[in-house]
Amino acid sequence: MSFKRLDPEDFLVSADSIISPAWSDYETFLVYPNLYKSLTQQNSDSGQYYLNVYSTDPTVNPNAEIQFATTYGDASGLGQALYNSSVSGSSPTRTVYGQFVNLLLGEDEGASFNFGGPSANNEYFWAIVVDRARYKQSIVPGNFQIQLRGTDWLDIFITDNSRITPTVDYTPAGRRYTLGSGSFGDGVMPAGSTEGVYGYLYPDVGIIVLNCAAVATTDPAFQPIFRSFDANENAPDKLRERIYGIFLQSQETVASDFVFCRARNAEFNYSVNPSFSVSASAGSILYNDFIQNPVTYITSVGMYNDNNELLAVAKLSKPLKKDFTKEALIRVKLDF
Amino acid sequence: MGYLNNSIVTVDAILTRKGRELLARNDGSFRITQFALADDEIDYTMWDPDNPLGSAYYGQAIDNMPLLEAFPDETQAMKYLLTTLPRGTSKLPIIDVGYQVISLYQGASIAITPQTLNYLGGTQTFESSGYVATIGDVRLMSNFNGVGINTAQATSLNSTATLGASVSKTVVGTTINMTATTVNVLFPTGVDQLTTSLIIVGRDSGARVVIPVQLNKNTNC
Repeated sequence: MSFKRLDPEDFLVSADSIISPAWSDYETFLVYPNLYKSLTQQNSDSGQYYLNVYSTDPTVNPNAEIQFATTYGDASGLGQALYNSSVSGSSPTRTVYGQFVNLLLGEDEGASFNFGGPSANNEYFWAIVVDRARYKQSIVPGNFQIQLRGTDWLDIFITDNSRITPTVDYTPAGRRYTLGSGSFGDGVMPAGSTEGVYGYLYPDVGIIVLNCAAVATTDPAFQPIFRSFDANENAPDKLRERIYGIFLQSQETVASDFVFCRARNAEFNYSVNPSFSVSASAGSILYNDFIQNPVTYITSVGMYNDNNELLAVAKLSKPLKKDFTKEALIRVKLDF
Repeated sequence: MGYLNNSIVTVDAILTRKGRELLARNDGSFRITQFALADDEIDYTMWDPDNPLGSAYYGQAIDNMPLLEAFPDETQAMKYLLTTLPRGTSKLPIIDVGYQVISLYQGASIAITPQTLNYLGGTQTFESSGYVATIGDVRLMSNFNGVGINTAQATSLNSTATLGASVSKTVVGTTINMTATTVNVLFPTGVDQLTTSLIIVGRDSGARVVIPVQLNKNTNC
């Protein structure tokens, strides 16, 4: 008998959380000057809505991978040329605003963001949309930090508040953390802030929304646009130019199947390996000692279905000796 | 005082091509229910019962040998199964199909009835659970099925097929029926013979035999 049936208790399904650097080339910190844009994309139709940011120059490296996109939403449609000059307030930035209201607030386009500023409703924001392949299933809160470079190299450091806030806000877009000044999860708003919080981190959808008004209070250089209906405002690119670096880690849950294969002492002690016998055609065992005390070496474990079809195979790193005095327990891990 | 070694061996498995095919089929056929162990890559002639250092060193040349990674081709993995036989067995089971090579012309058929030699004291037996037969490239056969084992699994296996790809097909039976394809386009220009392999494994004994299969083009058609 060569095939051994598995019992229900031989199977274990385990879900493990895997945290890893988010950016390409296993980098956690994506830093200037490795924040490239593609002029082709910027000047295309999609460039009216967002700007892709790469870690290598896409004009030099055709395989450059998108790391994230920057975008700008404006409730008044400012920051881009109108779709139709006779229709007031309808422009790509207005479309982006409505898109994010729908996605993050779960409400219709009439709703507005509220960052806690004096006007209650915030009319415009920057957003960083992390590429799905970079954040995998979610961004790791507490290991996120964005560094914006202001005038005279005076930087502000923005992070979430996951390490100092015991509760989490749940929104239609999943968890939401508030952004403030600080590093790695201890973000708080500077005293005297009048425009509300710096923004929100939505880790489950890979989106960071920045409250432009609050950020600009620290330095006018962070003002996204001159608030006109001009196609040359390039608000998404202004954010890219102001980013000095972003720390980010990704998180994904990998479900693994563990199968415990048990070889009892009296099992699997003979082999049909041709070198186990003197002559493959006769079948006589190679050594007389092997007749009473056979020794085999396990190198592979095969997983089969009821039809004896080989579904998965695992190899050991070195042979595992087996004889009538030994039992073997091999844990086979299957990742999906 | 030392710690007892209570560790277990943990290994990562990869899906075979067949495993991926069945997973994609999404009909419940990807369901692991049994396992087997194999000793591929081991050369037992390296076992040295005359080693002057004693019995602990008989397997010195094998114990720490490096092993290759697993192959995703199910016909190239798990070649030599370890088998459970009564202690004192002096002869290993061998499968005999009566052919060294199977050579077929397009459209020709053959029925193979394997037998197992040396199994459980018998000189020549038909295994009660039947035989697993795997053809390496199913495109070469217009018909490939097994008869004689009437379990639901065997019936299902014998009636399913994956079209179009160069994948293996596995059937279960006591007799394996094969009919060579008549499709000419499989033959590249100037090639009149295609080859693949037929692997037969005894479901009880684990004995295995690999037979080359040659498909010859009907050039007079």
